This record gives sequence, C-alpha cells and structure tokens, in this order.
Amino acid sequence: MIGDITLGRYSNTDSVLHRTDPRVKLLLYVIYLVAIFMVTDPVSLVAMALITTVLVVMSNTRLKMIWLTIKPVLPLAVFIVVINLFTIRTGNILFSKWFIVISDEGLSRAILMGMRLIFLIMITSIFLTLTTTPLKLSDALESLFSWMKVFRFPVHEMAMMMSIALRFIPTLSDETQKIMNAQMSRGADYDTGGFMKRIKGYVTVLVPLFVSSFNRAEDLACAMDARCYRGGVGRTKLNPLKIRRADIVIGIVLALLAVILVVTDRFLGQVII
Amino acid sequence: MANLTDDKRIKVEKVSFSYSSEDDTAAKPPKKALDGISLQIGKGSYTAITGPNGSGKSTLAKLIDILEMPDEGRIVVFGKDTSSEDSFWDVRRKCSIIFQNPDNQIVGTTVEEDVAFGPENLGVPTAELRERVDKALKDVGLYEYRTRPSSALSGGQKQKLAIAGALAMHPDILIMDESTAMLDPHSRQEVLEIVEAMRIRDELTLITITHDMTEAARCDRILVIKDGRVALEGTPSEVFSQKELIEEMSLVLPVEYSFAYKIAEMSKGTLSAEDLKGRDSLKLACARELKKIKADMVPGTKRKERKAQDEVIMSVKALSYSYDEGKTFAIEDIDLDVHKGEILVLAGRSGCGKTTLITHFNGILKAQKGSVTVNGIDTSDKKNVMKIRQKVGLVFQYPEYQLFDETVYKDICFGLKRWSVPEKEFPDRVDKACKMTGFKTEYLEKSPFDLSGGQQRRAAIAGVLVMEPDILVMDEPGAGLDPTGRKSMFDMISRLRDSGVTVIIVSHNMDDSAIVADRVCYMRRGRIVKVGRPEEMFCGKENEFNIPRPYITEFALEVADLAGIPGYASCGDFTPEGEALALAAYYAGGDHHDR
Repeated sequence: MIGDITLGRYSNTDSVLHRTDPRVKLLLYVIYLVAIFMVTDPVSLVAMALITTVLVVMSNTRLKMIWLTIKPVLPLAVFIVVINLFTIRTGNILFSKWFIVISDEGLSRAILMGMRLIFLIMITSIFLTLTTTPLKLSDALESLFSWMKVFRFPVHEMAMMMSIALRFIPTLSDETQKIMNAQMSRGADYDTGGFMKRIKGYVTVLVPLFVSSFNRAEDLACAMDARCYRGGVGRTKLNPLKIRRADIVIGIVLALLAVILVVTDRFLGQVII
Repeated sequence: MANLTDDKRIKVEKVSFSYSSEDDTAAKPPKKALDGISLQIGKGSYTAITGPNGSGKSTLAKLIDILEMPDEGRIVVFGKDTSSEDSFWDVRRKCSIIFQNPDNQIVGTTVEEDVAFGPENLGVPTAELRERVDKALKDVGLYEYRTRPSSALSGGQKQKLAIAGALAMHPDILIMDESTAMLDPHSRQEVLEIVEAMRIRDELTLITITHDMTEAARCDRILVIKDGRVALEGTPSEVFSQKELIEEMSLVLPVEYSFAYKIAEMSKGTLSAEDLKGRDSLKLACARELKKIKADMVPGTKRKERKAQDEVIMSVKALSYSYDEGKTFAIEDIDLDVHKGEILVLAGRSGCGKTTLITHFNGILKAQKGSVTVNGIDTSDKKNVMKIRQKVGLVFQYPEYQLFDETVYKDICFGLKRWSVPEKEFPDRVDKACKMTGFKTEYLEKSPFDLSGGQQRRAAIAGVLVMEPDILVMDEPGAGLDPTGRKSMFDMISRLRDSGVTVIIVSHNMDDSAIVADRVCYMRRGRIVKVGRPEEMFCGKENEFNIPRPYITEFALEVADLAGIPGYASCGDFTPEGEALALAAYYAGGDHHDR
C-alpha cells in the first residue's frame, strides 16, 4: 500500500548512535562508504563484518529491523554473486561441468561484491536512516554545506524544502489513498490490466493530487508568511545541533577504525602480491 | 467605539480589494472582494465576523495581517498604518492567524518544531524559544505530544497545535479564520474554550471569522459582512433582534434564538434586548414565556409519519478490522442492519471508526473478521466488486477533491464508462444526477476546477449518483459548507430518500443529521454503542450511554429544567421551531407529541 512509503525506516529506540550528532554520523558514513570500496582482502572483510556487528549493537536496533532493511536487497545481492561467480573465469578453475565454470578469482570476487552491497545497506541504515530522523539529517546537511552560502547557493532554502517535503509525505500519502478509494468507488481499477492501462488509470489519482498539492502549497505559503517567515537570515533554532565531547570521541574512534582497516588491507594485499 | 484612540483599535477605512486574475479586462473588471468597507475593532475585544461564503471575510483577515495590501483605503492597527514600510513587521508579528485547514498550516515535522517555527523566524534565542514552546504547548494541552510527528495528530489536535504556534509568537491579535469549521463539536468546543481563556489571560484582541452563528453569539460584538461591506453590526443581542434582516441575508439565526422566538410567538410575548444577550438569558426568557402558554395557544403539529421499513438491504455481521495486524481494532464486532429506503445516520466523534466501517460497504476494505452483505451478496468477494460498487455509491468527505477530468460532464460520466453503460444513455443519466444534486447544467462543459466549492461538491456527488446506486453512503456531506449550502445538501438527501434510495450519512455533528434521520447508530472507539430512532437516542434526561445530543435538544432540556419540568422526556423534530412546539405542547399539557 502507498501508506507504507516512508523515507527509510527510523528505529524509535535510544542508543549511543541515536544521540550522536548527525553531522558526525554523516561524515562517518562517507568515510565508511570509501572504506567499503577500498578493502578487498578476506581478512579485512571479516574485520568489516565485526565492525558492522559492533555498530549494530551500538545502535540498539532490533534484529528484525536489520533483517527488514536487508531483505529487499537480497535478490540483488544474490544476482550480483551469481553473475560474478559464473562469468569470471580467470585464475584456477575450481569446478567445471557442462557450461558452468567456477574459478577461485570468480568466487572471491563474487563474495566481495555481495558483501560490499550488504555492508553498504547496513552502513547506510545504521548511520543514517535507522538512527537519524530525517529532520536531523536535513539540519546536518544544512550545517555541513553552510560554507556554500558564500557562493550564493541557497543552502537554507534547500534544507527548508527538504523538511517541508518530509512533513508532507504522510499527509499526501493519506490523501492519495483517499482519492484512490473515491475513484475505486466509481469503478476505477488500479490492480488489473496491462501496463499502459494502469498508467492511464493513475491519471484519475494524479490530477486531483496535483491540484490539491498546489492548493496546499498556496495555503502553506500564506501560513508561513503569517508566521513571519523571511528566509534563513536571522533565524534561530529550537534544537540547534551541538557537538559534545562524546560525539568527537565516537567520531575519532570509528574513523580511526576505518582508516586502520584500509591501511592494513593495503598492507595485506601487498604481502600476498 | 468612536471614542477609542487610534492605538486602542484596529481601524479599517473605506478599504477596497480585488483578487486579480488572468481573465481580467478593462471591460470586465474583477469582482471586488471588499468594496469600500469601514469598521473598527477595539483592542482586547472579542469580535465575530460573519456572512455568506464569498462575502470577503477572510480577505479582511489577510489585510489586517498585511498578507495582502488594500487597493484603496487605509488600515491602521493599534496606531500603526499597515501601508508604511516601518510598521510592516511590527504589525505582522503582533497578529496571528489560525486558518481553516489544519493540515495546510503545519510546517514542522514534529509538534515542538512546529510551535517553534514562528518565534524562530523572529530570531528568539534558543533558551527563550524552549521556554515559549513549552509554555504554549502546556496552554493548549499538547505538552505530552511535543516530540510526536505533527502529521500523526487528530484534526482537533492540529488546530490546537496551530494555536500554540500562534501563542508562542506572543501576539496581541489572534484571528481565527473558520478554524473550527472542520472539527467535530467536541473538539470545536475545546478549541474555543482555549482561545477564550487565552484572550482573557493575555488580553488578546480575538477576532473569529465563522459561519456558525452559535459561535458568533459567544462574542462581544458581531459584524455581518455582505458583498464586501458591513451589512449589520452590534452586540449579539442587537444583531439577533433583527430576525428579518438576518434571514434576508440568507444567514440563519443561532438555533437557540430561533427557538426563543418561536416560544415568544406562541406566548404572544416579546423578547427584550436583555433577554437576547446570550444563551443564559435566553434560557431564562424561554422559561418565563413558557409559563404563559396555555394548551390552546400551541398550534397542532403535523408530523411527517414515516412508515417503518423492515426489509434489510445491507447486513453487517460481527465485523472487525485492524490496521496493525490485530494490535488495535479500528472497528470491532459491528452488527448492523440497514433497512431499505431509510436514512441511517452513523454518528460518533472523529476517529471512532465510522469511515473504516463505511469503506467496507462497497468492498474497498475486505472484511478481516465477519461479513458485509448487500442483498445477500458478500462485499468482500472479489467476483462481486463491480456489482457491489454499482449498487453502493460511496461519497467520501470533501468529494470535490476527486474531480479530475477536463469537463464536468466527462467527470460525471467516468463511472458510466467503467460499467460500459451504452453511450446514448449518458445525457439522460447525467441530467437526472444534476437535477438531484442541484448542479447547474450550464456548467457541464466547464473545467471542474473553475467552479465554486459548492458546485464542485454537487458535481462530485452527481458522479456517484449517475450510477443509480440503491444505497448512497455520504461521509460528512455538510462539512465546510455555509448554512445555505448545508441546508440544500440536506434537502437533497431528503429528495434522495423520497426517490427510494437508501441513504447512510456519516457525521460527527448531530444538528443537521438528526432532523433527517430515520435511525441513528452511535459509535464510540470502534464499537456500536446504541442504534435507534432519533427520539430514542436523544430525548429524555436519561442518557445511559452519554450520547451527545443535538445542540437544540440540549437547550430545550435546560429550558425545561428552568421552567420546572425536570422530567421532560419529549422532543420534536430537532429543528428549533419543532423543539419549541414540542416543549410548549408538553408544558401546556395539551396535545402531546411524543414521537
């Protein structure tokens, strides 16, 4: 159902990672992203899996939530593994029958790619979606990119737009459901028929949704005007982002872990070669 | 008023304003929303601005807050001219508006972020922000909800949130622009009580723009606006003493005033200015006049006797539905028979499960437990979907939001095409549906988005009626309409019933629906509390299940108490006049009219 659409899944628990400053988490996320793509050695992959486990524990998320985030990408992961496994034929042949040929390089490559994808999803959810509300994320982006204001880039406006969009997602998804119910009562059918027929069917939802969104936008602009909104200049914040010592410690420790991982990975690689 | 100095009043002087649009030409100038209007509102006063739809009420609010600038004339707010650059922000920050649609004025993702939005714009330092936000949230009773997502609140809570957002700005003027129009009576009362208390505590100037005359009667002063000018003004007692003038302007008196006038007509007495002051004085006056009434002074009433219908057209059996896999139930164990040809009103507060229940009636929601059958056909069965949806027409709340096609005609025909009705039948069917709803056929070739709200709603209802359903279900058909619009909506519902259609109305407000209802089904927290004829539901002092009554019935009971007949257990047809007749007849001991 449309009503289920959310931007990532926020896990409504409390943890060290939940409390960590979103800017720190955003930077850590970038560092880990790079690290995931730089490590290649099996030992590093195991180390990476260990670190991810530690992060899961730190984020105090229920395993079910983790499973729910990984589940949708599993088919893709399997696909990537299979493709790599069967198409790479360099290195020592481990197995060969009919047209199936599996080489040791193919195997290690397949495992590496599959693991990367899983790590990628885990890291994104642990640092961002599961532990950070979209609002905090938009605050963090605004703060991290504030230097771009020098180039007249509308950083505040972008962040405001993002937070308003987030605010209206549930409202509009409710409205979509209501309009669909109304049109279904008049005989509309959104579940059967060919692709083109379905697309055409959605006109009966999209037109009213657009019209009402424009009306809402106009009302909202008026309400924001009435509440003295005049852009980001001179605005204060109820919950300003504040870096605490714990944030710095977590940031440095986790960043160091990633760096050590990458460096040792390079080192291991060289030894083998 | 005239003796107030400029800093103690809002002064509007000969103001004209029109909304420009693309089709304006010199030959056809745009219609003026305000046309040379002059008025004054004293500092700290409580003023109602009322008038028919499109009379320019909301425009006036926007001009005071400088959201629009007058084309002509001048507005001075507490000594500050709104046309001067220097006073612009001064005026705007001191004036807050609560708009009609709760969803469209919330900016913040969480409750506290939204309250903070205004003061954040003013640059209030963080420590003070926290103080202001917490205080405002406590004032409206939403402090416990402060970290919740704002979209998860109910309609009434969202309006309270908007009030908190306004209070946190520390305004001098608070304008309620039809802010209670979309709320159920309970939330409406709560919201009004909050702003009235805040007005006293913070010495606010409170302006309420409303269609609801009972709400207007709570104010110190009423301004009636028509065609962009002040048509009538004064205290409630002054304004409501002009019965004829008010009716001429297609407005309606508050029900308690109509009731009192009817009583006075029978007792051949008069109501003084003192009597007309408000609800309490009216009650006393009614009790006083009631005592003068003798049996022969009460005209006989001819009550429309409706033949009881027993044939069951739809049957709901042990129906339950849960949106969260059985943790909580939106509706639970519903058993209900709908009789052929009746008007059944499904009543209950917002969020009690009414809409969930009716969404089962045409199989949009499939029964998780229990069943819904229409003429013996199971609505949850996939095979029957189209058959059921033709038989049971569903008109959701604000149906005008479902219009989509290029012309109204095409939009109304949408269902006919889906059911492969032969095209030659279209014109006749559309014509019939338009007649029934009162949609003006000359607008059929217009775009639905160019119509007024009232015509849009009729067009949307016509789009359901065109399928000639046996049962028509309407969710809050009167929501957001002015008194004239509501009256024609309920007239239409009576016409439908007369033409043999079974009508199910969903409503949180009993005032209109009790008048037309054959039976009422009251729901609370997903369960049916009681089903019965309106008089079984609302009459008499006993109220075992604490079911809210129509406003006028409540009033009649209070008058009966004052007049010394505390056991009054009768009631009329739920119109103010009907209730007055019933009470007089009961009191005078003549012709009894127990329904």
